[in-house]
Amino acid sequence: MPTDMTVNGEARTSARDPLTPLIDVLRDEFHLTGAKPVCREGFCGACTVLVDGEPTVSCLTPVAMAGDCDVVTIEGLSSCGLTDIQSRLEQGDAVQCGMCFPGMVMTLSHFLAHTPQPNRDEVRAALTGNICRCTGYERIVEAALAVAGGRAEGRR
Amino acid sequence: MTVDAVMEFRRRDARDKLTGRTRYTIDRAAPGMLHAAVLRAEVASGRLVTVDTSKAAALPGVRAVATAADAPGRFGIGVSDHSLFADGQVRYVGEPLAAVAADTPEQAQAALAAIEVAIEPLPAVVTMAEALAPGAPLVHPDWQDYEVLPVGGARAGNVAWEATVVRGDVDAAFARPDVTVVESTFRVGRQNHMAFEPRAVVARYEEDRFHIETSTQVPWTIRNATARFLGVPASQVRVTVPPVGGAFGLKFDVAIEPFAALLAKKSGRAVRLVNSREEEMLTCLFRENAEILIRSAVTSEGEIAGREAVVLMDCGAHGGEQIFLTTMTAHTLGGNYKLGAVRLATRAVYTNTPPNGAFRACNGVYNTFALERHTDEIAAAIGMDPLELRRRTVLGDGDLGATGQVFEGDVLRPMLDRMEALRARTTPHEVDDGRLYGRATTVGTWFVFTGPSAATVNMNADGSATLVTSGVEIGSGSMMQGLPQIVAATLGIRPEDVIVRQADTDAAGYDVGVGGGRQTTSLGAASLAAAQDVRAKLLAFAAQLLEATPDDLVMANGRIEIAGPNGKGFTIAEVAARAQAALGPIGGTGAATRTGVPSMPGCVAGHFIDAIDIPVFAVHDCEVAVDRDTGHVEVLNYRVVQDVGRALNRSAIGGQIQGGVVQGLGYALHEEVSIDALGHIRQCGFETYRVPLAGDVVPVEVDLFEGAPSLGPLGIKGAGEVPILNVGATVACAVANATGRRVQELPLTPPRILSLLLGREPDLALPHIQPAFADNLLRPHGPEV
Amino acid sequence: MTPSAHPSLYVAPSLEDALNALAERGADGAPLAGGTWIMRAPLRHEAKSPAFVGLGRVAGFGRIEVHDDHVIIGAGVTHARLAEALRDIPDLQGLAAAAGRSANPAVRRAATVGGNLCTAGFAAADLVPALLCLEAEVEIASRAGVQRLSLEAFLAARATLEPGRLLTQVHALRSSARSAHARLPLRKAGDYPVAILSMAVMRDDAGRVVRARVAVGSVEAVARRWPALEAALTGPPLDAASAERAATDLAGEFDGREGVDAPGWYRVAVLPALARRAVAALL
Ligand SMILES: Cc1cc2nc3c(=O)[nH]c(=O)nc-3n(C[C@@H](O)[C@@H](O)[C@H](O)COP(=O)(O)OP(=O)(O)OC[C@H]3O[C@@H](n4cnc5c(N)ncnc54)[C@H](O)[C@@H]3O)c2cc1C
Ligand code: FES
Ligand code: FES
Repeated sequence: MPTDMTVNGEARTSARDPLTPLIDVLRDEFHLTGAKPVCREGFCGACTVLVDGEPTVSCLTPVAMAGDCDVVTIEGLSSCGLTDIQSRLEQGDAVQCGMCFPGMVMTLSHFLAHTPQPNRDEVRAALTGNICRCTGYERIVEAALAVAGGRAEGRR
Repeated sequence: MTVDAVMEFRRRDARDKLTGRTRYTIDRAAPGMLHAAVLRAEVASGRLVTVDTSKAAALPGVRAVATAADAPGRFGIGVSDHSLFADGQVRYVGEPLAAVAADTPEQAQAALAAIEVAIEPLPAVVTMAEALAPGAPLVHPDWQDYEVLPVGGARAGNVAWEATVVRGDVDAAFARPDVTVVESTFRVGRQNHMAFEPRAVVARYEEDRFHIETSTQVPWTIRNATARFLGVPASQVRVTVPPVGGAFGLKFDVAIEPFAALLAKKSGRAVRLVNSREEEMLTCLFRENAEILIRSAVTSEGEIAGREAVVLMDCGAHGGEQIFLTTMTAHTLGGNYKLGAVRLATRAVYTNTPPNGAFRACNGVYNTFALERHTDEIAAAIGMDPLELRRRTVLGDGDLGATGQVFEGDVLRPMLDRMEALRARTTPHEVDDGRLYGRATTVGTWFVFTGPSAATVNMNADGSATLVTSGVEIGSGSMMQGLPQIVAATLGIRPEDVIVRQADTDAAGYDVGVGGGRQTTSLGAASLAAAQDVRAKLLAFAAQLLEATPDDLVMANGRIEIAGPNGKGFTIAEVAARAQAALGPIGGTGAATRTGVPSMPGCVAGHFIDAIDIPVFAVHDCEVAVDRDTGHVEVLNYRVVQDVGRALNRSAIGGQIQGGVVQGLGYALHEEVSIDALGHIRQCGFETYRVPLAGDVVPVEVDLFEGAPSLGPLGIKGAGEVPILNVGATVACAVANATGRRVQELPLTPPRILSLLLGREPDLALPHIQPAFADNLLRPHGPEV
Repeated sequence: MTPSAHPSLYVAPSLEDALNALAERGADGAPLAGGTWIMRAPLRHEAKSPAFVGLGRVAGFGRIEVHDDHVIIGAGVTHARLAEALRDIPDLQGLAAAAGRSANPAVRRAATVGGNLCTAGFAAADLVPALLCLEAEVEIASRAGVQRLSLEAFLAARATLEPGRLLTQVHALRSSARSAHARLPLRKAGDYPVAILSMAVMRDDAGRVVRARVAVGSVEAVARRWPALEAALTGPPLDAASAERAATDLAGEFDGREGVDAPGWYRVAVLPALARRAVAALL
């Protein structure tokens, strides 16, 4: 039973078993390796993609549930250069091993679009499902606050 | 020539990592690639009766099967006690029994299920107390037959290695009439690295050689260990390393590479093998669990007349890194303070549990926890302020370390002053909300693991330079920031114009590996030497062109010019191009190894290094609030004063400190590994193994202490390992101060703290550590006879 | 896994279709809602059902109706949508907190009310104690018809429910009561709670408690009401310290479950503090 969907703006069809986690379809079938399967249990967020605009853990999403949906992966987030959050993360020297960032960027893009003026605690809460083992988070939080222009409020 | 390589240079790999374009090993594939899987033992101890792969081999899609017969060799960092597959005996849950490669991952799993295994269970030793009990079953009954690489460590039965330090007359010190004797015991659990990229490999067999693409910190160890396991010459193995998705020491040893290599050779196809998260959890080469007894004889003035300690490290089923790490007790538990007489014994103990390994600052982390909590107990016993005690007794210029090495420079004492200044900048947090508040300051000693490194710098005719080393980018940024900065500064070009070659053992010379804080120091020293070689050649050639002497020239901002205003000159590209035409391409090579600071003869036995070439010091401070009803600890603020020698890139170091401290907070508070009576690790993923989340951390206030003596290139020291060193110590001391309870174990999970507060936790007894120091030793301290 | 004639996942467009599909699949079939529990079966070393019927597109499953005297929550409502919909409803703050603080943002956007209530092996479900204090009822549909039963009765029957049944919606009465949900994760957030105490309390004009409902989750295998504490709270005005004292006296009736995350004694030992926190949230 093939599954049709739009991936990064293009119509795609997956031939995989409908229960296959979306992450495996994206990576193995469509060769979009940006999203990372790190825990496969919904805790780390490294596999986060947008499904119909909502950040979704693609490790727990059967591909059939993404049928007829609009899927955006980190590769398709921006057609020209870096988005605001990506450039703030780059400027802030936030990146270390980098494995968490595809998911971080997806979560933060959505969060900042819906919460224009977050404070530090709100950013942290938004990252509850995005683990980073390398950086200790602070620069990621700073970058998000910088995008939001919420620096003055968030600084301790 | 002085090189100023201090820059705020941003890493070039960030953009690809932020846009998902970086291809880690797990993202790699090859045409016709097979998928491998490893069958692992489900019992902790047993006699392996059969591993019958005939049915599995006949299944559809199965292309190759490998078992113990295919990998005759043994490997080990100190003792060659590690065979690739269980060799007649099963020693831990998760030990490999067979490996398969098939067209699809599902077929590979089906093949594993079809392998027939018979194991006759044997009694297991799951804890060190069990392993050291009289008459305990031996994890390695044939321990006497193993090849031992260095000599000097005592070994017997379940004691894989024993290292000792004796300096001075400890008995006399304890017998002094003017001393108080303070004794403390401690226990810590294991810590899992939780590197985001699991161990992963893609292997090929081409032109009668293995090509292994892997997620590792140690390409040369992979090359040499794979060759040993498979019984082939090391020259037949090539290792290349894509960007590594986190390592922290996990990838400092050989892991699953030889399986893929074997299967690639057998199948003639490329083979991919990636650990599942559960396999990562079960076979992670953890920071080991340990048990410690420490006893000191201290005067009322705080002078430490004598100190003795026994440290038991659980190495699991193989000696691995722990055998080497027995050395580090001398420099960590035996560090920080001026000691009169000292004796230390460290025993790596075999158990029927998954093997342990290296993890950022290794046993330094728990030895510092033990030492600093012990120091606070001493302060309480003699009625002295803990900070004052530290100020009086920390190592200073000319003081002797545990092994008799002479420390240079006053470092820790001025760092303590700097910490006080840093702390004065923030007001204490304490409020009346029913929680218990506490604060602590601790000190720590760690080192840079020096050793051989090689580098080549090729000067290109376009003015760029290519740096070729076996260094790996594991996330710390040293290959992206520190090394290109050193080369760029030496050659007077922009760091952007230094191309850094990914590690390839066919292209670059030997390197110990990326870890132990040695990237920017050892690889940096080799890269500096190689760049200086190039610089000298370019200057000599330019001098000819300009009819000057090399000493008259300056090399900076992409130009070589005669010094002085309006000096005549050329761009470096021009010089390089002309030199290339006249002499051939300009290149340089550099090498570095450990310099070898002397220790005192006779002080150590069974040690891999007797003294530390580049000590690194740290002072940490934090404030905590403890919820008396639930045992939750909130870290309110955290401060670090770190000895960095010289900071080449402050932003990069700051990132390492924040990340390292947060990993330390995980170790101190959240990250728990428990092993059940059958030898199973109970935490099998991110649900049960809790690493800090964004809400659990604080921004670390950092003060970099520069100017301490360092043998490192340009006066630098490693900065990425040490940030985790005293976090467990600092949090534990702060929690002890907040609660008034004796903190003896880590991690301080809410149940453990509540248990302490409710008085449910009995004082920690370690009956398998003998009260008399000498009774703990396999043989009296001294050289092997 | 035995091969099934049906696909591993069939996404049903309507309730009728879902019930038919489940009936056809019999013991092989099982509903799949958000999938956040089911998709982790391999990690628990559990076999997945051979033929899931996906509920994500079932019309009307995601409906929330807030009436003056009751609410109806469709089984397909996600934790995130539930929290959002109840944000300003004073008597349902406990349920809103349960939905809004469980798991993490991405999981809350996927995980459903139906999945939370129907997972028999999951002791730490947040919505269960929150709904127990609201004395909620659930509707169970099968091809044979619709049955309505109390959540308590459903929890008792849930492990042995016949195949082919679906939880379609949850009904809860509204009132002048105030509710709170005290959960204890080991980190600040993001974990399963090691213990939960939910509370709904109705007071008279003088502030005296006329009715109290307390439910405890994650401490034992299945969440349950705590009638003894309810009785202790009823009568006098609400007071955090006395609630804590009463909970201390009564906590012995719980037999905490041992887990990798926390020992049984701990789950019981924190109940008094959770009782105090829940009351404090109501004052
Ligand atoms: C990272 C993470 C953190 C979590 N943290 C929390 C937490 O803090 N608190 C908490 O409560 N939960 C937590 N959960 C658990 C979470 O999976 C569930 O509680 C969730 O509500 C399950 O819903 P689902 O829709 O995803 O269920 P599914 O996985 O789709 O189904 C679960 C079970 O319910 C059955 N089922 C589903 N819908 C129906 C229906 N309408 N009728 C009959 N049977 C049905 C399925 O057959 C299956 O047996 C967490 C999960 C993850 C992944
Ligand atoms: S891999 Fe999906 S959340 Fe971790
Ligand atoms: S940068 Fe390594 S996990 Fe975040």
